[in-house]
Amino acid sequence: MAEQPVSIYRSMKDLPSTHLLGTGTPMCAGCGGLEALNQLYDIIGDKSVFVNAAGCMTLLSVYPFTPFRGSWLYTAMASAPAGAQGVRDALDILIQKQRMNIDEDMQVVVLTGDGSAYGMGLSATSGAIERNLDFLYICYDNEGYGNTGQQFSAATPHGAKTATSTGSRGYPGFKKDLFAIWAAHNPAYVATVAGAEPVDLARKIEKAMSMKGPRMLIALSPCPTGWDYDPQETVTVGKLAVKTGIWPLKEYVDGRVIHTKIPRERKPVEEYLKLQGRYKHLFEPVRNDELIAEIQNKVDDYWGRVGK
Amino acid sequence: MYRIRFHGRGGQGMKTASRILGTAFFLEGYEVQDAPRYGAERRGAPIFAYVRADNQLINERGVITRPDLVIVADDSLVPVPAAGVLTGVDEHTVLLINSDESTETWKHRLNLSCRVFTLPAEAEERAELRFIGATCTGAAARLLGKISRDALQQAIKQELSELGDAVIEKNLARALDAFDCMQEHEGCIQTGTEANATDYSKPAWIDFPFEDARVSAPDIHASANSVEVRTGLWRTLRPVIDYERCNKCWWVCSTFCPDGAIKVSGQTPEIDYNHCKGCMVCVAQCPPHAIEAVAEQLARQQDAEEEVSP
Repeated sequence: MAEQPVSIYRSMKDLPSTHLLGTGTPMCAGCGGLEALNQLYDIIGDKSVFVNAAGCMTLLSVYPFTPFRGSWLYTAMASAPAGAQGVRDALDILIQKQRMNIDEDMQVVVLTGDGSAYGMGLSATSGAIERNLDFLYICYDNEGYGNTGQQFSAATPHGAKTATSTGSRGYPGFKKDLFAIWAAHNPAYVATVAGAEPVDLARKIEKAMSMKGPRMLIALSPCPTGWDYDPQETVTVGKLAVKTGIWPLKEYVDGRVIHTKIPRERKPVEEYLKLQGRYKHLFEPVRNDELIAEIQNKVDDYWGRVGK
Repeated sequence: MYRIRFHGRGGQGMKTASRILGTAFFLEGYEVQDAPRYGAERRGAPIFAYVRADNQLINERGVITRPDLVIVADDSLVPVPAAGVLTGVDEHTVLLINSDESTETWKHRLNLSCRVFTLPAEAEERAELRFIGATCTGAAARLLGKISRDALQQAIKQELSELGDAVIEKNLARALDAFDCMQEHEGCIQTGTEANATDYSKPAWIDFPFEDARVSAPDIHASANSVEVRTGLWRTLRPVIDYERCNKCWWVCSTFCPDGAIKVSGQTPEIDYNHCKGCMVCVAQCPPHAIEAVAEQLARQQDAEEEVSP
């Protein structure tokens, strides 16, 4: 096994205690995506250009306010990686022409929701990876088009109720495996993270920042508004997603997938599902054992397949 | 034609409130329009919804600019320009506002000559605004004087049918209480004049000269200036740290705070109340349970008392 560089983030005590991202953003109270972004931004730092596709987080920088200490650029939903290409090229040209020092160089970060990352922006993303663009892609995945009222997206899990899947069986489709799609492109780095697991998240962003080339972090973003739970449960929901095995924390590096946090004993998925209003129809008015078992089996199959 | 506008924050159920009122009108035989308007789809954002009701076909469309009744579920919206609570309010308009402050205070503060009614609520209840929509609708129905108690009940049952009996019962109780307490003002709402194409004054256009994008593009040169936005105003519950119980774990609360509103200086965490939105994630996550949730209204009262007698 190749020697892994030692992370400076070994426990909660190594995490930053003050935060870089400005407060006063218009994200919902208890936003799991903003929680993850806060933790990520502490480590990414202000020498960064965020290229933001339309979505909830476009509202972070609404004129005349911004929470970022570095730069920010807004693009249409499908074209954030193309925007990142332009910014990266511009920085490279400025450095080449000696109009900017190499130590002033900035990290180009694409920030989009799942609607763009899993769906509309996938073509531009694939192209950017193909061109080996040096960029970091952060997806805040709240499993639906949250900013417009939680319509289903390609990231919506099977059985979840959304504004556009309201029947007794919820969303009939299955969550797209974006991690595998990225990994199939053989990029520098892909990882899943969750704001509820900050040490794991810190290590992954630290690792991603130390690399060049296309890099991706998919952050599970519990969404009190779209998933219909009390905002104070954001971290509880995130932790349960990991403990039930629904959200496997893993990374792809050097052609291999490594699970970074394997639940020793997986909790039943039910514990995760019943906290959220979007799965209420599985329990009321009558319990839908069949659908709950189907979701559980999917999770068990996954972990069986990866041999854990 | 009745023109009614509901103002509230995302999550307070103003869209549902307008639907209930619309349905109640419909059940009474009216032609009805009701529609919500959002900016961002999120909890806490200012939203409004409007209802038109008439005995004849309604040809008017779009946002109501000359309301007969304006309902405000959250009085903190009044000073927010983007919420546009007072748009088109004139002497004939009735303003129904959910507030602890008196009608005189509001009339004086806003320099209004129209009628103002308040929906007082107990401090503990204000922390839990889930049923404010029902309360507003009940009161509005009585003020309009065209909707019977039965039609109101039926409309609530119809619009909330998906939410189960327990929720319906609570909404019914609130709505009917509010309906009853407005008895003495029944039917006080006057319909405004019909819009007329002949005396319609067109909006005055302002021509802006075309500018270079470098001049006119919205460009922010400041860093992290979002701190100027006081999102602490959203809070209905306030997390309060008991420093004797805090075990100085380092930074569980600070790391999990979605808004980055808790910083650790030295060893102790401090909550930035100007920006804490009151999600209570810190209360749920603090390992020794050293953070308590206090109703914001009560916490503010305590603050005020402490200021008076230090």
